[in-house]
Amino acid sequence: MSATRRLPRFLVSMALLLVALTFFFPMIWMVMSSFKTNADIFSAPFSPPESIDFGRWVEAWEVGNLGQYAINSAIVTIVSVTLILLFGAGAAFALSRYRFSGRGLVLSLFALGLILPLQSYFIAQSSMFTLMGITDTRLALILPYAAMGLSLAVYLLKVYLDALPEELFEAARIDGASDRQLFSSLAFPLLRPGLATVAIFSALAAWNEFLLALLYIQDDTLKTIPTGLLAFSTRYVTDYSLLFSALSIVTIPMIVIFFVFNRQIVEGITAGSVK
Amino acid sequence: MKPARSITPWLFLAPALVMFGYAVLLPMVLTVGYSFTEWNGFGPMTFVGLDNYLTAATDPIFRGSFVHVCLYIAATLVLEVLVGLALAGIVSAATGRLWFRVAIFTPVMLPMVVVAVLWAFVYNPDFGLVNATFGAVGLEQLQRVWLGDPATALAAVSVVSGWVYAGFYMMIFYAAFRQIPHEILEAGRLDGAGEWALFRRVKVPMIRSVLWVGVLLCVTGGFQGFDLFFVLTNGGPYGSTEIPTTYLVKTVFRNGEVGYGSAMAVVLTVIVLGVGLAYSRIARRRQRPSAETGEAPGADARLAAPAILRPDDAGELAG
Repeated sequence: MSATRRLPRFLVSMALLLVALTFFFPMIWMVMSSFKTNADIFSAPFSPPESIDFGRWVEAWEVGNLGQYAINSAIVTIVSVTLILLFGAGAAFALSRYRFSGRGLVLSLFALGLILPLQSYFIAQSSMFTLMGITDTRLALILPYAAMGLSLAVYLLKVYLDALPEELFEAARIDGASDRQLFSSLAFPLLRPGLATVAIFSALAAWNEFLLALLYIQDDTLKTIPTGLLAFSTRYVTDYSLLFSALSIVTIPMIVIFFVFNRQIVEGITAGSVK
Repeated sequence: MKPARSITPWLFLAPALVMFGYAVLLPMVLTVGYSFTEWNGFGPMTFVGLDNYLTAATDPIFRGSFVHVCLYIAATLVLEVLVGLALAGIVSAATGRLWFRVAIFTPVMLPMVVVAVLWAFVYNPDFGLVNATFGAVGLEQLQRVWLGDPATALAAVSVVSGWVYAGFYMMIFYAAFRQIPHEILEAGRLDGAGEWALFRRVKVPMIRSVLWVGVLLCVTGGFQGFDLFFVLTNGGPYGSTEIPTTYLVKTVFRNGEVGYGSAMAVVLTVIVLGVGLAYSRIARRRQRPSAETGEAPGADARLAAPAILRPDDAGELAG
């Protein structure tokens, strides 16, 4: 590894820093603007705020219902992810460990789910949900989010289970384990790394989903962060510093979480998004 | 393994199958059914055969929406996949730089709506960053009402998409680059190849399959675009950014033309599935000769079955 062939490290670092700063600048600008008055936002877009005052953040949090939106997002996300993990692991277990007739068909159904766009079913889903009185309840989001996440969960978890040696299960069987015990005491605990990847991907997908949330939830007290923030931004269209405050409140926790768990999150997102 | 009772596997499958069947498969079949009817969502439903499809074929807005989405896909192939590849090349040539990768990847984490609301400000004609930057460097003549001008709106939306996803493709390609065995790169360096030559002649060809997965993701994802367009322009100005999904949401949920909207949804679905299937056939065909030339077999086939692109897996094809 001769050093002369390498690009000069310092120059590369500087160039990368410049690229990263340009990339990040919209977010830096967002936070800076949240501490400014409307007049300052117009007259001096690049200058840092005169003082750091979180007053507008507090105001945005209170008038914007942001806490309520965050709670709604959290409930919908947690329930969907739990369902995906439990149901997905069960299905993956059956498809990986058992040979039975109909297995191929089930596998190809879930494979179809992997590439099926949302557009192929959301119109009828919406009329089904209206008919059954599910729209404007949290179930209207939990059901589709869980169902959409299942395909990927089944496939990813099946890959993990396929890698486990058959003897492991045979031995447990001989020791008298029932099928249920094989799943809950043997397969499920061994799946933990796969479950973590699936959980991260499905959680982000549910947290960020917009189209269905827009169509199925009109009740402001049930809105999730994406639709809630959109409603907020149309209500306070010209109160820029308030809007920048709300954006900052929504964005910064996610960036912090990402910087802490970046390895797992990157793996989760890249693994999942082949869908 | 043989189940203790033949019903056992089905008991494990039942919750997933019921949920998937109820919330995805059934509505998908119903959507196809709706597409042959005229229906406003609650009144009587009339069977109209292929009328909706014939209408769609000649509907200038629907046809235009495909032109727009194809332009958008072409732009994002450059701004996301190509830029992502370039960034991955730079970081892999310069080892380490975790902070850089993390910084560029960050927007992928954020809800698209949040990104869109932020960028609506970035493009704001009065105080937005873009016009302010041009103003600051004395290029006032370049200032535009970016999202309000039919000439620039689609490009402006594409740039936001690039800002979000370039980091995503960078991560995928970077992970693949890292799986290339060190000896191969060292051999190249000993032969006098510079970083650029290594990148073009060794690294990129070796991650070809991952590159194609990236292209596939970008194309199929592009056809399904919605969030950014809805918040930034919702099809406007003058329909210049109307894409299939914004149009069909308007058709169904504003105009109440459920049957017609369903037909458009079916057309879109067929295109997305068609691209996906065409890709997996090509990948399978490419797989055979590559096995003969001694490249690691299986990688293409595994990638063709989705969901297997784990960062540490993806590189195995470099074998």
